[in-house]
Amino acid sequence: MSEVLERINRSFDEPEDEHDEVREYTLFIGPNHPGIEGNFALKLSLEGDTIVRAKTDGGYLHRGFEKLMEERLFMQNIAIVCRICVPDPDPNEENYARAVEAIAGIEVPERAKWIRVLVLELSRIASHLFTFGGHAGTIGLYTMPNWSIADRDRILDLFEELTGGRVYHIYNMPGGVRRDFPDGFERRVHEVMDYIESRLPDYDDLFFNNAILRKRAEGIGVLTSDQAIRWGATGPNLRAVGIPADLRRDDTYEVYDKLEFDIPTLTGGDALDRLLVRRKEIEESIRIVRQVVDNIPSGKVWNKQPNPLKWRVPAGDAYVRTESSKGEYAYYMVSDGGQRPYRVHVRGASTTHGVHILENLLVGTRIEDASQVMFSLDACPPEVDR
Amino acid sequence: MTNEQDIINRIEAAYPDAVCKKKQERRVEACLPPDRLFDFAGRMQSHWNFPHLSAISCVDWINEGEFELVYHFWSYEEKILVSAKIRIPREEARFISITELWQPAKFFERDIHEMFGVVFEGNDDLEKYILTEWEGPPPMRKDFVTRDFANRFYHFKEYEAEWMGPQQNPQAADVQGGSNE
Amino acid sequence: MSEKLTQRTAWNRVLDKLSGRSLWMLHYCTGCGAIELPPTMTGRFDMERFGIHPMVTPRQADILLITGYLSVKTLKRVILTYEQMQSPKWVVGFGSCTINGGMYWNSYATVKSLDQYMPVELYIAGCMPRPEAIISSFNELIDRIGRGEANSWKDYYENYDFYRKNQEHVFGGPINTRTDVKSDKETFRIQSAGK
Repeated sequence: MSEVLERINRSFDEPEDEHDEVREYTLFIGPNHPGIEGNFALKLSLEGDTIVRAKTDGGYLHRGFEKLMEERLFMQNIAIVCRICVPDPDPNEENYARAVEAIAGIEVPERAKWIRVLVLELSRIASHLFTFGGHAGTIGLYTMPNWSIADRDRILDLFEELTGGRVYHIYNMPGGVRRDFPDGFERRVHEVMDYIESRLPDYDDLFFNNAILRKRAEGIGVLTSDQAIRWGATGPNLRAVGIPADLRRDDTYEVYDKLEFDIPTLTGGDALDRLLVRRKEIEESIRIVRQVVDNIPSGKVWNKQPNPLKWRVPAGDAYVRTESSKGEYAYYMVSDGGQRPYRVHVRGASTTHGVHILENLLVGTRIEDASQVMFSLDACPPEVDR
Repeated sequence: MTNEQDIINRIEAAYPDAVCKKKQERRVEACLPPDRLFDFAGRMQSHWNFPHLSAISCVDWINEGEFELVYHFWSYEEKILVSAKIRIPREEARFISITELWQPAKFFERDIHEMFGVVFEGNDDLEKYILTEWEGPPPMRKDFVTRDFANRFYHFKEYEAEWMGPQQNPQAADVQGGSNE
Repeated sequence: MSEKLTQRTAWNRVLDKLSGRSLWMLHYCTGCGAIELPPTMTGRFDMERFGIHPMVTPRQADILLITGYLSVKTLKRVILTYEQMQSPKWVVGFGSCTINGGMYWNSYATVKSLDQYMPVELYIAGCMPRPEAIISSFNELIDRIGRGEANSWKDYYENYDFYRKNQEHVFGGPINTRTDVKSDKETFRIQSAGK
C-alpha cells in the first residue's frame, strides 16, 4: 500500500519537462459553433484550459463589397450597402448617403435629418437587444433571447411600416430619405418606446442582475483605458473603460447637436461593464427617439436628385463616420467624376474589436470565457469581412 | 480648443513640403511625400495628441500608376480628423509599416496587402486572412474585373424548362470550360 | 430495402410521418440570412411548435439551412458539414443568393447557385425572406417528408461525381472531406444515375 502511495507521490513530483511537448495544444473553434458570434473562427493555443495565444480566422462572410460598389452606379449602391453589417444596417446607409452628399455638395432637408436620427437610434436599440439575446444564449439563459429578440421585433415592425423592410431598409438616400412618416406613426413609435422602457426592469431582473451572468462576466476580458486607446477601441467598448467618447457628440452629424442625451460610461472595462453600457445606451436612445418624434419639423423629406442613370458625382473624396451600435463606423469614398464610386473603403466598427482586441483580450482567459469576451466586444464578423 | 486652421499651420510649420487644406468641418487633409509619413505619424501620436488611428485606406490610381495610402488620425480632444495622403508607385509596391506606433494598423495593413498587394516592411503578420481560398490577383486592384471573373468561373443557373425545348446557350459551353484563373 | 421504400408500406408511411415531425436544424449561420433565424426560433414566431429545433452538431441534425450567400471559404466548411450529417438530410436554400447569386451575382468571392454543389430540397426566395416564409417552407418540408417525396438527399449519392467535380472546380483541386460517401451509398443501396 505504501509503495503505491509512494509511486503516486513520485509521479506528482516528477519534473514536467517530459510532458512539455503535450502541454500546449491548439483548438479550432468555429465557424459552426454556438459560442461564436456569426460565421467566424478562433484558433486558440491552450495550456490546460487557459488560452496562451489566440488568432482569429475570418473571411467566411467576404462578398467583396468594396469591389462590387466600384462596378455599380451611385444609385444602385444604396441597395447593397446595408448588407455589410447585418444586425445594424442603418449606419451603412447613413454613411453612404452622407459620403455622397459631402462629395457632391447635396443639401438635405431638415425633416430628413431628423428622420435619419430616428432610424439610426431605433436601429441601435434593435441591435443591442439582439446582442443581449446572443450573449445570454452563450451562458444558458435562454429566456432572455426569447424576450429581447421578440421585443426587437416590435422595432422591426416600425421599420417595416416606415420603410417596407424588416431588416434591410434601403431608406436613406443621398439628398434625404425615401418616404415620409405614415399616418399615426409618431403615436406607434411612442407606444413601442414605452413598451421597451417598461421591459428594461424585467431585463435587469432576468439578465443583468442574474447571478449567473455576474459570475461569468465580471472581471473577464478586462480592458484598461490605456489599452483601449492603444488598441483602437471605439464605441461602447471604449465607454466601458470610462472614456466618454461618442461620435454623435464629438464628430456630430445630422441633428445630434440639437438633441439632449447623456453618454453613459462605466469604469470597469470587463465583459459585464461592456454589456451594462449597452443596457444604459438603450435608455438614452429611447430619450432621443422621443425627442425626435416630438420636435420633428415639417417639410419635405427629399431633395430631388438628377436622373439616377445619368448621375455623375464630381471628383473628390470624403471620410464620414457614424456611431453605430458597435462603435465607429466609417466610409472613405473617392469619386473620379464618373457614374460609379472610384473607391469606397468600409471601416467596420468591428475591424479593431473583432481582430486585434479580441486576440489580445483572449490571452489569459479560460476557454469557456472566450464567448463572453467575443460577445461583450460585440464583434460583428460581416463588418470585418465585408 | 484648436480649430482646423491651427492644425494646418502646425503641420505646415513642421513639414514645409506638405500640402494641407480644410476639407469640411473637422476634416483636414495633408498630402505628404512618402518618406515623411513615418515621422509624421509618430509626431501625430506623441506630440500632437492624435491617439486614434481610425483607418488606413488604399486607392488604386491605375492611370497614374500609383497607389494612394490614406491614414486617418483622430484626436479625442481636438475633435479633428487628419487624413494624411501619400502616393507610392504601383509596380512592386512597398511601404514602411507603422505597426510600431499603432497596433490597430496591423490589421489594416494586412488587409491592404491582401486586397492590393502592397507589402508593408516591418509588419510581421501579412499572411492571408480573408482570401485563404483565393489564388488569383489581389482583387481590389483596378485591373481585376470581378464581373468577368464571375462570368468565367462560376456556374450560372441555366434555366432549362421542358416546354422551352433544347436550348443553345453559348455561355453554358464557356462555363464548362472555365478554368481557375 | 430501397424497393420497399419506393413502395411505401404502411410502416414506411408511419415512419415518414413521424420523422417529419421531429426535425433538428443545424445552427450554422452561413450568411446574413441568419439574422432572421433568432426571431423565427424565439418567442414571436416560435418554430418549435412545428417540432423544429436548432441543433449544434452536424451529426445529429436533419436540416442544413444555408442562410444566404456562400463565400468559397464557407462553401468548403459547408460541404464538410453536409457530408458529416446523417442521411436522410435536407438542404434548404435561404434567400435569392443561394438560387442564382442574388445581388452578389458579379462577386468574385461567392458561389452563385447552391444546387451545383449539393442537392437542395427547397429554396426560399427573397432578400431576405421573412420568418413567415421560413415557417411556411418548413411546413412544406414536413409535408413532403410525410408524403415520402423529400428524396433530394439521394441525389448526392447518385450523382456524387457531378457534385464533386463542381466542388473541385471551385477549390481548384481535390479536397478531402474525410467522409466516405461511397460506402454510405452502399449502406443506402442507391444506384448511380449519372447526371
